[in-house]
Amino acid sequence: MDVAMFLAGFLVSGLRSCTPLFYVLLGETLTERVGVVNLGVEGQMLIGAFFGFATTVWTGNPWLGMVAGAAAGMLLSAVHGLLCVTLKANFFASGVALWMLGGGLSAFFGINLVGQKIEGFPPIPWGPFAHIPVVGQALAQLTPTVLLSLFVGPAAGFWLYRTRPGLHWRAVGESAEAARTMGIVPERVKWQGILTGGFLSGFGGASLSVDYTRNWIEWMTAGRGLIAVGLVIVARWNPYLALPSAFLFGATEALTLRLQSMGVKVSPYLLSTLPYLVCLVVLVYGYWRARQRGGMPRDLAAAFAHTE
Amino acid sequence: MTNRPWLRETAWAIGTALLFLALCAGFFLLLGKHPLELIWQVALGAFGDKYSATETLVKTTPILFCALAAAVPARLGLLSVGQSGQFYLGAFVGTFFVLRFPAATPAFIALPAMLLCAGAGGAAWGLVPGFLRARVGVNETLTTLLFNYVGSLLVDWAVYGPWRDPNNLGWPASPPFPEAAKLPSYLGSRLHAGLFIAIALAVGLHVLLTRTRWGLMLRVMKSNRKVAESAGMRYGLHVVAVMAMGGALAGLAGICETSAIQGRLQSGVAANYGITGFLVAWMAGQHLIKILPLALVMGAIISASDALQLFAELPSAIAVVMQAMLFLSVLGIAGWRKRKGV
Repeated sequence: MDVAMFLAGFLVSGLRSCTPLFYVLLGETLTERVGVVNLGVEGQMLIGAFFGFATTVWTGNPWLGMVAGAAAGMLLSAVHGLLCVTLKANFFASGVALWMLGGGLSAFFGINLVGQKIEGFPPIPWGPFAHIPVVGQALAQLTPTVLLSLFVGPAAGFWLYRTRPGLHWRAVGESAEAARTMGIVPERVKWQGILTGGFLSGFGGASLSVDYTRNWIEWMTAGRGLIAVGLVIVARWNPYLALPSAFLFGATEALTLRLQSMGVKVSPYLLSTLPYLVCLVVLVYGYWRARQRGGMPRDLAAAFAHTE
Repeated sequence: MTNRPWLRETAWAIGTALLFLALCAGFFLLLGKHPLELIWQVALGAFGDKYSATETLVKTTPILFCALAAAVPARLGLLSVGQSGQFYLGAFVGTFFVLRFPAATPAFIALPAMLLCAGAGGAAWGLVPGFLRARVGVNETLTTLLFNYVGSLLVDWAVYGPWRDPNNLGWPASPPFPEAAKLPSYLGSRLHAGLFIAIALAVGLHVLLTRTRWGLMLRVMKSNRKVAESAGMRYGLHVVAVMAMGGALAGLAGICETSAIQGRLQSGVAANYGITGFLVAWMAGQHLIKILPLALVMGAIISASDALQLFAELPSAIAVVMQAMLFLSVLGIAGWRKRKGV
């Protein structure tokens, strides 16, 4: 029973810590599927976290906060669309600009929010399930955004692989010029992909501040957005694999927290490097694998190799 | 006008500056401040008196190093955004050796040794992403970004842990540098020798990249890797070389800031210099001489933002917001020109 408790606890805390990252990872997956890389998800997350938290403080309603955060992320991603699709600027440079803009604006306006606290979501009423041993205790720790994350990935996967608009997205990501000859307007699809990614990364940022940490600190995402961009490659641009890939990060973070609470004599600063190092290792593995088997959308491969 | 390219370029540069000022003015209006008054305060805060002018140069120094650190890999088409991590590693490795110098080491040995160690530390932090790019093809932008966080945490570990000076009374920092390991300062201000090292490196590297065989090779490899490789050039080797060189340059920024400004290793010493340097290199079109004035502009913005904090009681993040708006103006205007073909 103790082992079961430990595993269930580990699973749930891993899920909880990977949820914000998951939404960003899914959003970036969809954006990259239309052939656009957006490093600005870090800034979109921050602006989403800020607006989400501020709205929750102001209205007392975490759901309104989530919506506000998602909308803010989407608005910021429109700058990326303007620069990269309309003006054909470099993805990476535009992403860095967005990252600074989102981070700068959220730190600027968020200075008064530091130290404030919110309630977060009310517990989900599980009814009779709450009384099942182990399962009940695990369920009690799930929040609405965690629960939602279990369904959003498969839904996006179904949409991408099984519907006509999804086919158009994949066609544009593979080759914008070939898609154009099929009668698709690649620019329009790219805009859709960028705005969807912006919405999801803003939502992810909001889930971090409104649901996970329930506070606001400047630059609180600490590279989660950039890790998401790396993990997209590990998830091989597949929405179904977004959650397992994000869980890799969540499990690492849960493990470091657990090790610290168990009193392991390693500096917390060194332990905090683990998620980045794990991401680095799987990124290298992802690249190595993609080189062996392919699977990177063609236009995207050119963007990542800077040969476009 | 079309047959005078420099005139056209200048006109576009002024256009970019005007767009940036318009964005700033819009932002200040949004805050309910008088935009012209605030822009005037920015100018005063950057160059108003001797103190502001030297502080602007103090801020320019690490930006200049970091911009060179971004521009050198870019000459081979690589987008390294790892300047802040390399900055930390330079400061980390440099401090490691400085704290172990024998007490009587004279400055003419201590300073070069310190700079060398810091350069090596930064180079290591550029070398690994370079190697991964060369051998496995891993996108260097992502790896360098991840390395930034690891580098910053490594310094945190050192100053909160084994290198913490108990005499600092709870303030996390390494013991102070010996006098022999402090870069000389001038004009009774914080302006230090790092600025001149950076300018000399900019000029030297410019000559290296434009006047030598190696510079030419980099240009060939950047424009067409396949042709270059069939001509016998080893692309991977040069990827590692330029990434390590870039890392070394950012590492120098780290040790200069630590040695001359802080006098000890502290957490968060890189501030936003790394990303600002990347931005400067991009705005300069990776041209090492054009980096010089642009680094000064950025130094002025950062220095002025300190004044804005006092004068207008704006949060320090105003510097990042203004830099982002400048970057957006540059990217927007460049994209617009490409689209219209002007």
